[in-house]
Amino acid sequence: MVLLRYLPAAFAYGILQVLLRFKDDSELARRLKARDPRAMEDLYERYGRLAYALIFRVVRNAGAAEDLVQETFLRVWNRAQSFDQQRGALGPWVLTVARNRAIDYLRSIDGRMSAGSLELDRMEHPSLFSSSDESALSIDRARRLKSAFEKLSPNQRAVIELAYYEGLSQTEMAERMKQPLGTVKTWVRSALKTLRDELTEAVSV
Amino acid sequence: MNCDDLKDVFELYALGLAEGAEKEEADAHLGRGCETCRKSLRDALALNAMVLSSVTEAAPPKRLKRRVMASIGVERRSWSWAAVLAAACMLVVALWLGMQERQRSAELAEARQTLMQVSADRDRMLAALSFLNQPETVQVGFGKGQPAPPRGNVFVNQRSGVLLIASNLPRLNPGRIFEMWVIPKGGAPRPAGTFQSNDSGAAFHILSGPVDLSTVGVIAVTVEPEAGSPAPTTTPIIAAAVSGS
Repeated sequence: MVLLRYLPAAFAYGILQVLLRFKDDSELARRLKARDPRAMEDLYERYGRLAYALIFRVVRNAGAAEDLVQETFLRVWNRAQSFDQQRGALGPWVLTVARNRAIDYLRSIDGRMSAGSLELDRMEHPSLFSSSDESALSIDRARRLKSAFEKLSPNQRAVIELAYYEGLSQTEMAERMKQPLGTVKTWVRSALKTLRDELTEAVSV
Repeated sequence: MNCDDLKDVFELYALGLAEGAEKEEADAHLGRGCETCRKSLRDALALNAMVLSSVTEAAPPKRLKRRVMASIGVERRSWSWAAVLAAACMLVVALWLGMQERQRSAELAEARQTLMQVSADRDRMLAALSFLNQPETVQVGFGKGQPAPPRGNVFVNQRSGVLLIASNLPRLNPGRIFEMWVIPKGGAPRPAGTFQSNDSGAAFHILSGPVDLSTVGVIAVTVEPEAGSPAPTTTPIIAAAVSGS
């Protein structure tokens, strides 16, 4: 019980750390664009643990996770030239690349959605990632993220899990959950709306 | 579908999960350069990143950083303390083995030298025994009755040569050696080889080759320079008159 009392604070603190890291990336982005190898080292120090954790959560295989983290950082390094160092959001970009590499790996071993690689690739373009304004980076936002998850029903959490961490389409979710497609779509839309409503100020750019 | 209706779609679209007509519609809006939809996509990607960032951090293996850096061509040799310690231990072991090897080599060379010396002594001893065993060998003693002179015997064999066995020889100064002489009756001394004594002052020396007993008068030993002398330069310390002549 004591643990449960402190869990929200720990969760919020963790999120805050991530947000604060997201905040101060412009100098790092400038060095990445200048092809400074030490910038790559700093980038890894800043986001390596998070990228590894995210990828491992998706692929559940330590060896594959290492390969995919390497691939993620190499992609970021090779595409950093297109990054907007003034407005760009480095952390969200790294996380998106990491998630997409992991989902792409899952799909390749499952043999599903062969055209999906191209789709994921398009979503990784650095110009699509912009910084939130600084007012969004507060402990309040971290609390909102936690509270947003708490507001989801079990089915909504399930579909969010399947979408974010398994890369299933709504049709695939319906098959997996043995539920009508329409029901799954409703869960997905409502879940995303809840998250968006809770976090919209934080992510609006 | 207008841009506002598409806002919901872009969250799935950003995850790469939009399907069918909705996806086609989103593609069409973005393809037209619709700024509203582009902003919706950016917002959706930011929202997704924030959700993804809620994952609990985990520590990747340390080698992963090296792999990442190596993938951009930066190889950094990382020396852990264990590796440094291991390298230092290997260096110490290598030095110790080197010293052992050098010591063993020296000992081996010394043993080889000793073996050669023992082998030479054995050959000389066998030659001396063979010398003594011959019936026509003539024996001449020397030094008996003197206060502290070298003592010993000279054995002369007409076919085999001269064998000198001596003890109580004086200790030589550095650069000096004993030299034996065969002195014919009424003739000049002929060099008969040089030799050293052992630590107790004993020595034996053989002059191989036929000796004309009828002409030999004296077998003598003098102390000479290390290279030997063509004629005696000091007073003999041994002078054995050969009586068989």
